[in-house]
Amino acid sequence: MLKDSIKMIIPVKPEYVSVVRLTASSIASRMGFNIEEIDDIKVAIGEACSNIIMDNTKEDIDIEVEFLLYKDKLTIKIDDSEKNKCDKEINSSSIEEMKDKELGLFIIKTLMDDVDCMNEEGINKIIMTKEIGVVENGYRNE
Amino acid sequence: MALTVDKKYDENKNMWILKPVGEIDIYTAPEFKDILLDIIKEKTISIVIDGERLEYIDSTGLGVLISGLKKLKEKDENIIIKNMKANIKKLFSITGLNNVFIIKE
Repeated sequence: MLKDSIKMIIPVKPEYVSVVRLTASSIASRMGFNIEEIDDIKVAIGEACSNIIMDNTKEDIDIEVEFLLYKDKLTIKIDDSEKNKCDKEINSSSIEEMKDKELGLFIIKTLMDDVDCMNEEGINKIIMTKEIGVVENGYRNE
Repeated sequence: MALTVDKKYDENKNMWILKPVGEIDIYTAPEFKDILLDIIKEKTISIVIDGERLEYIDSTGLGVLISGLKKLKEKDENIIIKNMKANIKKLFSITGLNNVFIIKE
């Protein structure tokens, strides 16, 4: 069940990516994620923002980021450019040959528990979810 | 947090020592790239990156390191990364870049 949601809109400029990262880590910390999980979320959201900025040549658009806070997980919805569909397969055989953008997507998929893409009212979005302390034996994994 | 980079030349080892302080992300990566490519141009020798005060790096920063390494490899030189923080070490290990660069504790 959704508890709260927080939305932020930033200009599509590199200098504001750190603002989103800080906000994400503050939200995650408030929700009770451990330090490693907070770092994962921070890196993933940073990569998602960077991908959009790298794709966009127009300066007059904004990036919308929505944090959906559940009891046991955090879902982040973020605008995605059409060029960078999140379901795109990563084909490069080696990390060294990957473009920054592919590397970013690879990192997001590795660090988050679930990554999906969808089209909402004509806007492409990446939806990424991190669960609080994945439980293997009935206890929170810390 | 912005980025500053301390650079010095170690005469005894004939290596560059770079110490980035702060964050290398899409905003600061171009500046880091300029510094890295400048020193390689000045003297194409191995570079030690001291990560003691590097708080964060993203894929654009990793891209800069990879492009620097490619230039150095042409002359059989390397990039050695030491004192990495745990969060950064994790990024190198999930991307496999810990096998591309020389990583030291």
